[in-house]
Amino acid sequence: MNKTRQLSFRLVRGTVAILIALLVAMVLVFISVEGDSIADKFSATAGALRNLLIAPLFDEGAGFNLKRLTDILAAMIPTIFTGLSVCVMFSANEFNLGGEGSAMLGAFSAAMGAIYIPFAGLASFSVGLATGLHILLCLLIAAVSCALMMLIPAVLKAKLQVSEMVCSLMLNYVVMYVIKYLMNTHLADKSKGLIQSFAFQPTAQIPQLVDNGSKLSWGFVIALGFVGITALFMYRSRWGYAIRMLGFNKDFVKYAGIRSGSMIVLSQLVGGLLAGLGGGIIMLGRYTTFSWGALPGYGWTGITIAILAGNNPIFVPFAAFFMAYLNKGCDLMATYAGVPSQLIDILQALIFLFFAAEQFLSRYRQKLVVRSAQKGLSAGGGKEARADA
Amino acid sequence: MLDFLQTLFRADFFFSILRITTPILFATLAAVIVEKAGISNIGLEGIMMISALFGSLCAYWASSWIAGLLAALLVGVLVALLMGVFAFNLKTDVILVGIAVNMIGSGGTLFLVKVITNLTEGKALASTTSLAVSANQIPSISIPLIRDIPLVGEILSGHSLLTYLAFALVFVTWVLLYKTAPGLNLRAVGENPHAASSVGVSVLKMRYVAIGLSGLMAGFGGAFMSMSYAAGWSQDMVAGRGFIALAAQAMGGGEPLGSMFSALLFGFAQAFGIKLSSKGVDSNLASPIPYVVTILGLLFFALFKRRSGSLRHRAHKKGASK
Repeated sequence: MNKTRQLSFRLVRGTVAILIALLVAMVLVFISVEGDSIADKFSATAGALRNLLIAPLFDEGAGFNLKRLTDILAAMIPTIFTGLSVCVMFSANEFNLGGEGSAMLGAFSAAMGAIYIPFAGLASFSVGLATGLHILLCLLIAAVSCALMMLIPAVLKAKLQVSEMVCSLMLNYVVMYVIKYLMNTHLADKSKGLIQSFAFQPTAQIPQLVDNGSKLSWGFVIALGFVGITALFMYRSRWGYAIRMLGFNKDFVKYAGIRSGSMIVLSQLVGGLLAGLGGGIIMLGRYTTFSWGALPGYGWTGITIAILAGNNPIFVPFAAFFMAYLNKGCDLMATYAGVPSQLIDILQALIFLFFAAEQFLSRYRQKLVVRSAQKGLSAGGGKEARADA
Repeated sequence: MLDFLQTLFRADFFFSILRITTPILFATLAAVIVEKAGISNIGLEGIMMISALFGSLCAYWASSWIAGLLAALLVGVLVALLMGVFAFNLKTDVILVGIAVNMIGSGGTLFLVKVITNLTEGKALASTTSLAVSANQIPSISIPLIRDIPLVGEILSGHSLLTYLAFALVFVTWVLLYKTAPGLNLRAVGENPHAASSVGVSVLKMRYVAIGLSGLMAGFGGAFMSMSYAAGWSQDMVAGRGFIALAAQAMGGGEPLGSMFSALLFGFAQAFGIKLSSKGVDSNLASPIPYVVTILGLLFFALFKRRSGSLRHRAHKKGASK
């Protein structure tokens, strides 16, 4: 099979995977909507599916809905980062699942920087300069703290072959509880009824790109920038090459004289850095106080996104858009059709199961291979067929 | 401090260790069996969540804990076999299959609860606690003779049926793996699938058997969670026990007995955390204790293994030079 045919096969397979997931979703929606008769249920299901598939961008009759588009774009900001983070780590075959904890730790440490680092003095001198520096510093703290957190599973894996998966999962819980403890005791703004921190200083708040309440901040632009940076890192740098080779063939890496231990550590450091940045940026762009009481879920969505993108950073924004679109659809369905919004978790799991299934539709691929080989033979020489084999 | 230690080392504390270890032990045995066949099933967490939900619901519908338990086991096995279809037949990376099952276990169960019961609409924390009746809980058993022995009776008697079963299954698992023909085949498939298939063992079949058994064990764990440990299912109630079990399996060197002891260690850590928070320590500070102990446990185990490995290596060298 030549390259274009391979691509078209992957497209077909992806589409079928998504269709199967949607079919299951339809069945689940059908079960969960209210209705007295079968006909009632069908029409309710149709209404709910319209909310899921079309409503995220288009109103009934009124046409394109800009507010909802900006909502979706805003929701992509953290998941682009966690998606990139998973891309890097899974490329190296490091199944580090600490994206959840990293996103929360990144958000928390950025928030602490936003509250407690004094920038008022500089702000009286130049607001623009103070804002830029303060945000930069907060994000730096977020990235570094998460990279340090990921150092634990990374070093344990590289030095002692401890499972990075179990270790990172345990760290997620530790991070969550420690942050909850700090929030409940030392850092809470006691004058508020809810558990939340003091307000961020204005110099630490990431300005909005579109001011319509969607909270689409400049963080979106930063996220797209990091897509480019991560892609360059993975495909145009020596380290990125070594990381990809580590996932491709461990023995080859050793044979080529690359130290696999340092690549194991590096991939997870970069992963932590990216996930932490995502947490920090969403915190400073969307909120004015820290009030998370549980893990945000961005890490798991990041895994789905990385798998949809085939671990290629360039495709991450598209996958993130797709997941954010579905998520928005599920939210709308919950509001208007009474279908619980957790449907998104089932949809997400199904889509990525079929996407990652290597043998899924393998018979169809076989047919394509045979056909292209026959074509090659009849064209004479059979060069293409032999090259494919 | 001394006061605290005195309250710590009392019969009720040891009793709670056994109780808390039970679900971890079930999941650990699941991990032991499946790893012996060369598969890492990280979906145990999700399977336990799903089993816990269906166990508690079926016990309510049928007004019988036996029905609930059977439903939990059935669901556990079915989910595990479905994982097998994706992992073995469709060649999805088994780790990813596990992650997907965990997603369904966390969010998907909440979806199902809302759809099936309509109970939890609008509440922050969803649960089926209001459906649970004590008659539908798995019964506790007080053992004659043993219950009359002073201290020992207080610790060992009066546990849930499943607690006794969990510890009995440690032995059963060992027998299954080491004293039966299917167990031998299962281990052969894990150690060298090509060699196993060359002597006529169906690798695919043994893998399905292994993952199915792991689903069964996780089903027990889920049933215990919602029908004995707590009254009814609640959101994210398994809270990482399926992952802790993977650590226990690794620390136990993959053997049933050793893994049981590491499961007990984690049970101890959790019981200790609960005791601390009952003594007024912030629960957010006490709750992460089992997770921290897991990481430290893995670290020390790996250090120990490396040392003993290098010692053996040196001894071997010495022998060779003679």
